[in-house]
Amino acid sequence: MSEFIQSLLAPFQYDYMLRAIWVSALIGGTCGFLSSFITLKGWSLMGDALSHAVVPGVAVGYIVGVPFAHELVREYHRSAVTNLILGLPLVLGAFVAGLLAAGTMAFIKAKSRIREDATIGIVFTAYFALGLLLISLFPASVDLKVILLGNILGISDPDIWQVVVISAVTLLVVGLKWKDLMLFCFDPNQARTLGLPAGGLHVTLLALLAATAVAALQAVGACLVVAMLVTPGATAYLLTDRFGKMLWLSSGMGVATSLAGAYGSYYFNGATGGCIVTLQTLVFLAAFVLAPQHGILASKRRARLTRTVSTG
Amino acid sequence: MTASPTLRDELPRLAIEGVSVAYPNGHLALDNASFQLSGGTICALVGVNGSGKSTLFKSIMGFVKPKAGSVRINGLSVRAVLKQHLVAYVPQAEEVDWQFPVSVWDVAMMGRYGAMNFLRIPRVADKLKVEESLRRVSMWDFKDRQIGELSGGQKKRVFLARALAQGGRVILLDEPFTGVDVKTEEAIIALLRELRAAGCIILVSTHNLGSVPEFCDQVVLINRTVLAYGPTASVFTERNLTAAFGGVLRQFQFDQSTIQDHDGRTIRVLSDDERPLVFGKDGHLEYKDRGEHEELLKQRSEQHE
Repeated sequence: MSEFIQSLLAPFQYDYMLRAIWVSALIGGTCGFLSSFITLKGWSLMGDALSHAVVPGVAVGYIVGVPFAHELVREYHRSAVTNLILGLPLVLGAFVAGLLAAGTMAFIKAKSRIREDATIGIVFTAYFALGLLLISLFPASVDLKVILLGNILGISDPDIWQVVVISAVTLLVVGLKWKDLMLFCFDPNQARTLGLPAGGLHVTLLALLAATAVAALQAVGACLVVAMLVTPGATAYLLTDRFGKMLWLSSGMGVATSLAGAYGSYYFNGATGGCIVTLQTLVFLAAFVLAPQHGILASKRRARLTRTVSTG
Repeated sequence: MTASPTLRDELPRLAIEGVSVAYPNGHLALDNASFQLSGGTICALVGVNGSGKSTLFKSIMGFVKPKAGSVRINGLSVRAVLKQHLVAYVPQAEEVDWQFPVSVWDVAMMGRYGAMNFLRIPRVADKLKVEESLRRVSMWDFKDRQIGELSGGQKKRVFLARALAQGGRVILLDEPFTGVDVKTEEAIIALLRELRAAGCIILVSTHNLGSVPEFCDQVVLINRTVLAYGPTASVFTERNLTAAFGGVLRQFQFDQSTIQDHDGRTIRVLSDDERPLVFGKDGHLEYKDRGEHEELLKQRSEQHE
C-alpha cells in the first residue's frame, strides 16, 4: 500500500516534474480563461493561425535575440531581472510575428475578394513555412522539435519567467475587463454605441491571444496550442448558459487537465503536450455526451419527452 | 456628472447635413443626404434594399466616417454624443448570436455599461433601471432565461429594454417588426409612443409600409440620398413612394373590388415586400384579374356543394 502511494508521489520528487506541473497548470488556466472569448467570438481558426504564425518570430528570437540577450547579461548574476531579459527576445519576436500575421490577414481580407477562411489559411501557412525555413537554416540555435511539440519538462528559467509574466498580464487584463470583452464578443455594435473603444478591445483580445499562444508553445508546442485555446471554452459552453460561469469552468478545466496531464506524462515518459490535450479531449467528449442541457443524451431525452407529450 | 449641460435634459435635435459615405471598394452608399429631426418624434426611414438605410444608421452611430458632410446631435459630433451614450440601437434579429451564454437580465444590463465604473460592477441605480426597463416591456418574468429560449417578439423586447436601460435619447430601430407577432407589434408601438411623449427621437428603418402611417408622425424617404422628408401625411404619398421605390414596389390595383360601384370600386395596395392578401366587402377575396378567374372559382364552389 505504501509502495503504491510512493509511486503516486514519485513525480513530485523531481524538481523538473514539479516545475512542469505548476507551469503547465498556469498555462492551462490562462489559455482556458481566454478560450471562452475565443470560442464565442468565432476566433478558433484565428487561434490556430496565430499559434503557427508566431513560429518565425520565435525562430528569429532564438537566432538573433537570445545570443544578444546573453551578451547583455553576461556580467551579471542570474536573477529575476536577467531571466526576464533572456526570455524577452522570444516573446517579443513571437508577439511581433503574431500581430503582423493578424495585420496581413486583415489587409488581404479588406483588399481582396478572397474569403476569410482562405485568407487565414494562406497567411498562417506562409508564416509557418518561413519559420520552418529559418529553423532549418540555423539548426544550432533552435530545436525544431521543441517548437513543434513543446518542452515543458526541460523548460528553462527565462522561459518560466516569460510564462509567468504573460499569464499575469492576461489574467489581470481579462479579469478586470471581462465584461467589456464579453460585450465586444457578443455585440460589438452596442460596445461602439456606448462609446467603448471597440477597436481597442479587438486589438487587446488579439494581442492576448498572440501572447498566450507563445506561452502555450512552451507547454504543448505549436501544433497543439489551438487545443489549449479552444477545447476548454467549447467544453464550458456545453455546460452552462451563463458567461461568468463559463469563464470559471473553462479556466478550471484548463488548470485541472494541464496539472493532471503533466503529472500523468511522468508515467508515460514524455509527450506532456499529448497527455494534456488528450485529457482535454476526453473531458470535452464527456460534456458532449453527458452535459445536462446541451449534451446529446439530454437532447435525445428532450426529443423523447416532446414525443410522448404530443402523442399522449 | 460633468458640469457641462447634459443632453439628457434637453430635447434632442438630429441634423444630417450633406452626408456622403463611400465604402473602401468605391461604392457610394450615400450621396449628399440631408434632413433634420427634433424630439419627440417617431420617424420612419423608408427605402429599397441597398438604398443606404443601414449606412445612414451606421453614420449616426459613428461606425462609418462620412467622406463629406456631418452628423450632429444638438450641435455635437457623433463621437461626443456616443461618450454620453445617448444613441441607442436595437439590432435586427439576424445580427445577434442567440446561442451566446447570456440571460435576458445580462443583455438589458449591457445598456448600462457606459454609465458604470471601470469594472462594470452594477450599482443599485443600474439594477433598478434594468428592472424598470424589463418590466416596461413585460420581460421581467423572463429575466433569467437564456436569450435563445425566447420567441421572436420576446427577443425584440429584450433589446428594446436594453435601449431603455441605456436611456438613449436618439433610438435607432432596424426592422423592429420582422418575426414579431401582432400583439408584440402593438406593444412595441405603444412603447415607442411613450418614448416620443418623453421627447426621444425614434428612427425606425422598416419595410413594413402599411404600418408606417399607423405610428410614424414623420417619414424620411431614401434612395442613395434623401428624396423627401417631413410629416407622414405630406411625404408618404403614392407619388413619392413610387419615386423612392421605382419599379421595385409591387403595386396592386383592384379595378373591380367588392366595394360598391358608387365608391368607385377601386382600391390600391402598395407593398415592397410580399404580395398582400386583401379581403374586400364581407370577407370576399380580392385579386387583380377577376374576369375568367371569378367564373372558375364559382364553378369550383358549386362542384363542392
